[in-house]
Amino acid sequence: MGKASVIPFGPQHPVLPEPLHLDLVVEDEVVIEAVPQIGFVHRGLEKLVETRDYNQFIYVAERICGICAMGHSLGYAETVERLMGVEVPKRAEYLRCIWHELSRVHSHLLWLGLAADAFGFESLFMHCWRLRERVLDIFEKTTGGRVILSVVKVGGVVRDIDRSMFDEIITTLDGVAEEYKAILKTLLNDTSIKNRTVGVGYISHDEAVNLSMVGPFARASAVPYDVRSFGLGAYGDLSDFQPITDTAGDCYARMKVRCYELLQSIDLIKEFIAKIPDGDIDVTVKGNPADGAEACNVLEQPRGECYYYARGNGTKNLARMRMRTPTSQNLAGMVHALKGCDLADVNMIILTVDPCISCTER
Amino acid sequence: MALETCFNPIELSALSEKVKARKAEGWRFVQLLAVNTDEGIDLIYSFMKDNVLENDEVKGLTNTDIVPSITDEYLEAFVFENEVHDLFDIQIKGIAIDFGGHFYKLHEKAPMTVISPEQKAAKEKAAKIAAAKKAKEAKEKAAGDAGAADEGAHGKADAQGESGAKAEAEDKQDDLEAKLAGMDPEKAAKVRAAMEARAKKAKGE
Repeated sequence: MGKASVIPFGPQHPVLPEPLHLDLVVEDEVVIEAVPQIGFVHRGLEKLVETRDYNQFIYVAERICGICAMGHSLGYAETVERLMGVEVPKRAEYLRCIWHELSRVHSHLLWLGLAADAFGFESLFMHCWRLRERVLDIFEKTTGGRVILSVVKVGGVVRDIDRSMFDEIITTLDGVAEEYKAILKTLLNDTSIKNRTVGVGYISHDEAVNLSMVGPFARASAVPYDVRSFGLGAYGDLSDFQPITDTAGDCYARMKVRCYELLQSIDLIKEFIAKIPDGDIDVTVKGNPADGAEACNVLEQPRGECYYYARGNGTKNLARMRMRTPTSQNLAGMVHALKGCDLADVNMIILTVDPCISCTER
Repeated sequence: MALETCFNPIELSALSEKVKARKAEGWRFVQLLAVNTDEGIDLIYSFMKDNVLENDEVKGLTNTDIVPSITDEYLEAFVFENEVHDLFDIQIKGIAIDFGGHFYKLHEKAPMTVISPEQKAAKEKAAKIAAAKKAKEAKEKAAGDAGAADEGAHGKADAQGESGAKAEAEDKQDDLEAKLAGMDPEKAAKVRAAMEARAKKAKGE
């Protein structure tokens, strides 16, 4: 047994361009303990709710994170709507879900590209990001933005999508799916990728349940939890929704879950487009949230369940707005997965958890 | 399977037992958050089981209260307990991974307990408007009762008309006062001065 030493990992690290720091206690190149540290870029965005009214804050909410922008604006709007008892038109719910699922496609493609880059598969990285650009093109054509979309508002959405655009979206997604399936063969069958991921960073089903893990991180350990199963909004009109799970609980399983979720999201978008009803896209919201009224909500972000909480104080500003992001919830699981791994595998384990420090440091 | 949510008030002394019971019953820990209120800090612990999301609320805590950590039951809560300590100055005892106030790199201590001037002004304005509205309603009710009694006793139309006009004028004055109470003090002073000048002019002074 060698001497224990502490190796700092991050907050600046090539594999993760986000400020996460880990103190890795290693013995003979085996990690025996990992202590996480965040908080380098805490922005106090939740505090801004005191100086921005509940309609303005939606633009703050979507700036919490560039990848989950659509999800945060949607989660915030749904929570305020619960708080004020606002019922959103059905067409608006469908449009929200279409954009949200497109966000999941682009987020998973971004992650797959980053993972490929981390294990030195640069051409795969380029292919994933090339496909992601086509999803961002859909955003640009339907909302005017590629990253910050600003289409959700309290009471509905600000833009509609016409039938010709829906046809174009389906054609684009069919093309993306076809090319993606070719990439998928490499992602899931390449020996060099399997060597880096199979059996690495194992989390059992019981550990995933005990550590309250969420998202693909939990689903790869056979925890069939996905907020979309609750049927909130347009998800309630889906003919069938089954969360994608795997039983292996390792880095490869986590990658596989995301790979198949991407194809599932494309199918969901096509079903939403086939079923979207005609009608209004918003309702007028009048008045302020009542003093002391409180509401909470959950939403399945690309990285997992996100919790939202709002409390009113009788004014146009909220007394409190809270967003608990999936990464905060998965930090304990990540630390657990790192225990006992080889130092060289730390990168892959952290990447397959897909932490988003930008979301966590609101 | 729709999502069901609820908020349950609990006492600080009952927190540990409640959390142990939740763990034993198979509830998943969702999050912990704090809310700064006039009565102190509220802590909200959220748990989920199937499609039920329950929030246990411990209300009115101060920075002298010692809150027991729940990391023995739910290790993942260490992130939120450190956060609540750093941002709200809530003392939590026994956190499994305790950063001792250095979880976030903050410019000032307990920034989420600082009440901004904008928030304070908005709250005062809302309180004044609510008080004025309440006073107006009480006055209307009293006037209505008096009017009914007056009508029953005398039944004179001219007297009723006179009191009605007076009540209307008083109502207008109350409305104006409520609006002025909600205004910026400088602006309210200017409006009052302009109204006095107009009243003097009307009297021919």
